Amino acid sequence: MAIFNLKKREIECKIVYYGPGRCGKTTNLEYIFKSYKKQVTGEMVSINTEGDRTLFFDFLPMGLGKIKDCDIRVQLYTVPGQIKYSSTRKLVLRGVDGIVFVADSLEVRRQKNMISLKDLQTNLKEYGKSIFKIPLVIQHNKRDLADEGIPLMTIEQMERDLNRQLKVPSFPGSAVKGTGVGVTLKACLMETLKSLQREFKWAK
Amino acid sequence: MDINLQIKSLLSEAELYRSQGLFSEAKDKYHAASAMIHKIDRLKNKDSLLKAISGKIQSLEEKTAKVETGPGSPELSKKGQNLIKSLFGENDMQQAVALAKFGQFERAIVELTALLKDDVYRVDAGKNIIRCKMAIASVDDAIDQYNQWYSGDLFTVSQLETIRTYLQPILDKKGIDKPLPVPVNERAELNATADSGGIEFSMPEPEEEILDISSIGITFTSGSQKGKMVEFDVNFQSGKMLSLIISKNDKGLIDDLKDGDELEEIQFYSPIAMFKGMAVIASKTQIKTGPKQGDFCLDLKITST
Ligand SMILES: Nc1nc2c(ncn2[C@@H]2O[C@H](COP(=O)(O)OP(=O)(O)OP(=O)(O)O)[C@@H](O)[C@H]2O)c(=O)[nH]1
Ligand SMILES: [Mg+2]
Repeated sequence: MAIFNLKKREIECKIVYYGPGRCGKTTNLEYIFKSYKKQVTGEMVSINTEGDRTLFFDFLPMGLGKIKDCDIRVQLYTVPGQIKYSSTRKLVLRGVDGIVFVADSLEVRRQKNMISLKDLQTNLKEYGKSIFKIPLVIQHNKRDLADEGIPLMTIEQMERDLNRQLKVPSFPGSAVKGTGVGVTLKACLMETLKSLQREFKWAK
Repeated sequence: MDINLQIKSLLSEAELYRSQGLFSEAKDKYHAASAMIHKIDRLKNKDSLLKAISGKIQSLEEKTAKVETGPGSPELSKKGQNLIKSLFGENDMQQAVALAKFGQFERAIVELTALLKDDVYRVDAGKNIIRCKMAIASVDDAIDQYNQWYSGDLFTVSQLETIRTYLQPILDKKGIDKPLPVPVNERAELNATADSGGIEFSMPEPEEEILDISSIGITFTSGSQKGKMVEFDVNFQSGKMLSLIISKNDKGLIDDLKDGDELEEIQFYSPIAMFKGMAVIASKTQIKTGPKQGDFCLDLKITST
């Protein structure tokens, strides 16, 4: 849960990048770390295992400066996508304020996207949260691979698979190239701050 | 499409999946390519092509095995562990537990052992030490630890009994037939030996089995927060009593609550289950001194689950 210090007018919120293994969550954070030097307030920490797969989480602290006279700090996390790290995913999700679901556009990963979204729903539920209510945005990642003739799903198909009921903001992206990374994060932060405003009325 | 082109595109797909760590997808494409090559009768370097592909498949299989048998939770550097502590726990107890949750058992045991000195944390620290010992070493180590505490005088009788009633069912469930010695207070022991007629002496009431609750979500049914659910971490638990430390900055959330209030809609989160229940506010006090000065301590008694 977001930490408020209304007297000092500070808010710290937690954004988690979720999605199937190898979809590009860590790559998103790496790009943010490289490109938003002004907003990044500390080192990016990655705890990895064999083959650069995330083992526990990646962590990146950011500061957005003042919004409505309130100092906004953000902690970005990724979860490990590999199926077997289910309990770690749940641990990292604890107290989350907003989520970026990174979907893999590769046709061969269609099923994995859906399984991961379902897993997200289950884990949120265990914390008493609803996937329909939590601030959430979707990124359709790896769109750059279309140019290399690799079979990708169309955006329409991915929206049908993942976003038919949720109807959350979604963006095409290429985390390696950096396209769509910023807008995705910004949209997620907007949704999150809006929701925290509804709940806690921090911006007077 | 020309068959040569088809093979070429399968191979480049396979190569891309491999480079992204999608090993099983890569393997499927190599197999498909190899099946297609087999069907072509007149292909110049057919054999060497097939051999190269099977080499790729083999190396993918080795990589897959490596990933699958990769360590579940390796020991992290001290810096990594400190980060886990600061990100996943607010007080000393939560930080030590966070280490254990991320598999950093050795360090967790060190920190939990230090917490044994603190009367407030002692029982929880003890239980978690037992948990860690079972995770890294063996049930025998956990039993040894219990016996060591049993013969020492760190724990009071009722504290030790709480630990026993935690560990014994675990042993029973594992089919380990080792009854742990039941702590009794000296008075009772004396009575028992004095009166060898076999009169039952009083034993500490075993606490009713209640799960360890790590956090709760309170849905407010009246007041300014009506209809909202707010999550709080449980800082300390003793049986059905939960203590929450609520930062003075969150005072607004609990303004409407007062001693004796019934909370009818509470979601309890424990590491192994989630359940709904009710609780009553036993006390709400503002902490007067120390680092948490100004914060609130809210004691809840679980009334039904
Ligand atoms: N072409 C392309 N490759 C990408 C893109 N995003 C990520 N990748 C590649 O996909 C692979 C996996 O990326 P990661 O960022 O490690 O994926 P992850 O989601 O963190 O994976 P886990 O930690 O295992 O859950 C790497 O080889 C990346 O270079 C993208 O937008 N385009
Ligand atoms: Mg990763």
